Amino acid sequence: MYYKNNHCLGGVCFLIGSTELQCTETPVILLNVLASTSFHGDVDMERYPLKSAVPKMGSTYQSVYKKGPNGSNGRGLHSPTEDDLVDITAGLQQDAGGASANTTPTNHGTFQLYEHSQRNSNASANSYVAQYFNTSIVQCKDSLLNEMAMIPTELDNEDLLEPLVPQGDVRDTIIFSGMQGDDDIPGIGQYDDFHTIDWQRDIARDRMRHRYIVKKRQDSLWDLIKGAHDAWSGWVCVLLVGVCTGMVAGVIDIGASWMTDLKFGICPQAFWLNREQCCWSDTDTTFNTGNCSQWLTWPQVLGGKHEGPGAYIVSYLFYIVWALIFAALSASLVRMFAPYACGSGIPEIKTILSGFIIRGYLGKWTLIIKVVGLILSVSSGLSLGKEGPMVHIASCLGNILSYLFPKYGRNEAKKREILSAAAAAGVSVAFGAPIGGVLFSLEEVSYYFPLKTLWRSFFCALIAAFILRSINPFGNEHSVLFFVEYNKPWIFFELIPFVGLGIIGGCIATIFIKANIYWCRYRKYSKLGQYPVTEVLVVTLVTAVIAYPNPYTRMNTSELIYLLFNQCGISNADPLCDYNRNFTDVNSAIEKAAAGPGVYRAIWLLVLALILKLVMTIFTFGIKVPCGLFIPSLALGAIAGRIVGIGVEQLAYHYPKIWLFSGECSTGDDCITPGLYAMVGAAAVLGGVTRMTVSLVVIMFELTGGVRYIVPLMAAAMASKWVGDALGRQGIYDAHIALNGYPFLDSKDEFQHTSLAADVMQPKRNETLSVITQDSMTVDDVETLLKETEHNGYPVVVSKESQYLVGFVLRRDLNLAIANAKRTLDGITGQSVVIFAGTGNQPPAPPQCLHLNRILDMAPITVTDQTPMETVVDMFRKLGLRQTLVTHNGRLLGVITKKDVLRHVKQMDNEDPSSVLFN
Amino acid sequence: MYVKLTALFFVAAFTTVISQAHSYEDNRCKCVCPSPAAVLNDTAGADRSPFMKSANVPPNKCNCEVVILPFMTDQLKDRQQEFCPRCECKYENRNTTIIKVVVIIVIWVIMLLVVYMGFLICLDPLINKRAKASYQEHTNEDDESTLGGPSQQLGARGNVLNRVTHQQDRTPTGQVE
Repeated sequence: MYYKNNHCLGGVCFLIGSTELQCTETPVILLNVLASTSFHGDVDMERYPLKSAVPKMGSTYQSVYKKGPNGSNGRGLHSPTEDDLVDITAGLQQDAGGASANTTPTNHGTFQLYEHSQRNSNASANSYVAQYFNTSIVQCKDSLLNEMAMIPTELDNEDLLEPLVPQGDVRDTIIFSGMQGDDDIPGIGQYDDFHTIDWQRDIARDRMRHRYIVKKRQDSLWDLIKGAHDAWSGWVCVLLVGVCTGMVAGVIDIGASWMTDLKFGICPQAFWLNREQCCWSDTDTTFNTGNCSQWLTWPQVLGGKHEGPGAYIVSYLFYIVWALIFAALSASLVRMFAPYACGSGIPEIKTILSGFIIRGYLGKWTLIIKVVGLILSVSSGLSLGKEGPMVHIASCLGNILSYLFPKYGRNEAKKREILSAAAAAGVSVAFGAPIGGVLFSLEEVSYYFPLKTLWRSFFCALIAAFILRSINPFGNEHSVLFFVEYNKPWIFFELIPFVGLGIIGGCIATIFIKANIYWCRYRKYSKLGQYPVTEVLVVTLVTAVIAYPNPYTRMNTSELIYLLFNQCGISNADPLCDYNRNFTDVNSAIEKAAAGPGVYRAIWLLVLALILKLVMTIFTFGIKVPCGLFIPSLALGAIAGRIVGIGVEQLAYHYPKIWLFSGECSTGDDCITPGLYAMVGAAAVLGGVTRMTVSLVVIMFELTGGVRYIVPLMAAAMASKWVGDALGRQGIYDAHIALNGYPFLDSKDEFQHTSLAADVMQPKRNETLSVITQDSMTVDDVETLLKETEHNGYPVVVSKESQYLVGFVLRRDLNLAIANAKRTLDGITGQSVVIFAGTGNQPPAPPQCLHLNRILDMAPITVTDQTPMETVVDMFRKLGLRQTLVTHNGRLLGVITKKDVLRHVKQMDNEDPSSVLFN
Repeated sequence: MYVKLTALFFVAAFTTVISQAHSYEDNRCKCVCPSPAAVLNDTAGADRSPFMKSANVPPNKCNCEVVILPFMTDQLKDRQQEFCPRCECKYENRNTTIIKVVVIIVIWVIMLLVVYMGFLICLDPLINKRAKASYQEHTNEDDESTLGGPSQQLGARGNVLNRVTHQQDRTPTGQVE
């Protein structure tokens, strides 16, 4: 006969070797209790909390069941673990304060039991009850108490016994409050700023809440509706996130394209239209100037001519002035209202998703300022893109909307499921690539990505893309400006230039990452960091002054990418398409042709543009305005790719018969497409910068709508990743995470050193470990300990001499609980004994005891001191631990926190371990 | 204040939207053709660059014959059959109302934020003074769990504009575990 511990909420659970169980409870109350146990079967079947993680709760049961049959050993009595108790209210808390101990009359000895053999059967609540009544239940309070008194005597023989819970904690009703809020101690279950979350604890809390709702479902129709609402709230939440993300993306796209054109001129009859939209229904336009009668450039507005040196200078000045205005506005808004809105946000989102708390990073102000600032900074012509920040914006929306659903808003681990889906929606709208978005979330940003989240991300990305598509921001029936449609074949030989492009891309990316990190580090540790607005203005000024003369840098970067991706047809009037073609033969397709002088001029301009963009992006990424680097890196790669493409094309034109082309280029039709090279090059640089592979290829082929280019894109992405990995270990996001010292334990890295847990744990030799004893410290003792040490959590032991581990208590919870007890309970003084878990046979003499068993985590993860660090690091990664306790011969020896692990990893990699920011 | 402002701004946005008549069409047929000179290999033609023409015709009539040829008859004469296959015609939709509303909202939001920022900058000296006076009690009232938080915040608040730097700096100065 076994005891299940996690449903002994508020009740005492006993593990008794005999088949007789004794109880003073009335059957009706037992029914309640047992009903709650019927869902325990879910526990083992529930999804694992982390990628390939072992559920903590499950393992706890295991140990109980293993020990159980012997009856006399094992956990004689298991009190509720902290995980269980977090969600319990009312009665328990009263007792936790010690006030109502022994005052509830008929409730001693409420407990439950069931047969082990049925543990995994699909027994319903009824069958448990039936089984319960078949068991002989005898009322005998005294014998129960005897049992309780006996068990402590066995303590010494056994490895580690869970101490008894005082009888006062035995309760007749079980009140879950997962839905309304956790408990009456405000703030329990939340975290401080810059702390890591405890995935295990949060997942367990959610499981409790879920069970409570399922249990309540049978009570009334209203509860049934509430249960149904809870079940679908995840989907509703991602639906809302998708809708909002799509709408916000539409606003950004329209706003940014209008404001970008404001630098060049205005549409006086309808000022809200950009140049293309202004000339949209103009009946007579040529490509010569790109202008129509409705659109006025600034010199024209001022009454001058459209052409000529005077007009050029006026345009130049207007361009610079507008750029400066936009950049200044963006920077000062960011500085004033939401400092967190700067940058791309992806490194921080990665860190947050790995279980770190940065308060306000995903808040309303950040959202508003990021949206407005993004429109402004994109319009200012700086070398930056809106794609990365779009991920941040979507995550902000996810965070804000999750507060509508307590299931997600109040549980940090669950909230991250929504954030993962939101990140997918962000990329989905940024590139019009829903599947690419899901894969991006999976490959690049998410830490914990179960299948359920995959489906939600899929749905969220779908909705977001659909909404954006129906807004149709660019009037081209697509959600990105640079959508191109390709349907040209490629020949086998071309794989060589594609791989070459991958290598070039990897090199460009490495140069970019190294230089950018160097510059960011310089900014961080020098006086430069104190003048963020000035820096933005200087960078903008330099960019504008240099960019204007070159038509390829003057134009919007998205338009440049579109131009480079496009193939030269009749509709393309750019010098890049100045081929000596003739259009006379109606039936022949556009074939390869000798490049005209315009092409060669364009190539020189593109080379200059490449250098300028590379240098400017290095200085731009990291300044204090919202800025992403997808678009600049795509542009860099597209320029390089287009140049290579033109080279190969001309090679094929001049020597069509050489063996390389295996005769396929002799006809001259559909042979080499420079636009395809631009696309492959763009993928290569982006892949090198971010180290994405799968998601990158999918994004690129969703952008082009051509499945046949998967192999070229894969080849380039792979080559660029290899080259990038060989030249520099980290992608740009990881490098920025390391630079900022975020406590991010990369699940992709491997730990290859031979150290042991004992080498890493705190305290080191000659230091003492701060511990709390389970039932002998007073409130004053505990407060002194809290004042004198700065640890975030304390192990609870049986006594300082024995150091037998009882559990783990968090500093924050301890603070809150003591403050709460002082406020709400009478008779708590500095001399009150704090009891976390006790034998229960101490007389409750005045001053009264303070029972804090509710905040005690009685199932902390432990390792022995000889455990290799490889295993420990794996546990931290896969279980999402916050800390683990180290034992030796069953006695507590020390603690390993995530910070210790990160420090150790840094130390082993010969990096400065003090750079890790950690609380 | 926010409610009022928001209401004001929506009223303003929508009156602008309604008062303006549709001066711009929402759909078009766009045809891009090479210049006739290039197609006909007419060396006399000076301008060889392609051109574009839009017309407001129903989608099923969106083709070269309907949109382009009526304007070209004299140039092309009898060689229309050679010219038209070179043209690309596409029917396109847009929604000017959405563009208008979005752009106006963006302008309003930016203006509001700028005004609010100016307001805060003007108010900054006042806030600063009061913050310094009431700072001590403030920390005591607050819960002790955020030790050092408020003091840092207020200390760095000397200038409203400095809050960014402060927030950024807060990151590296984390407490020890």
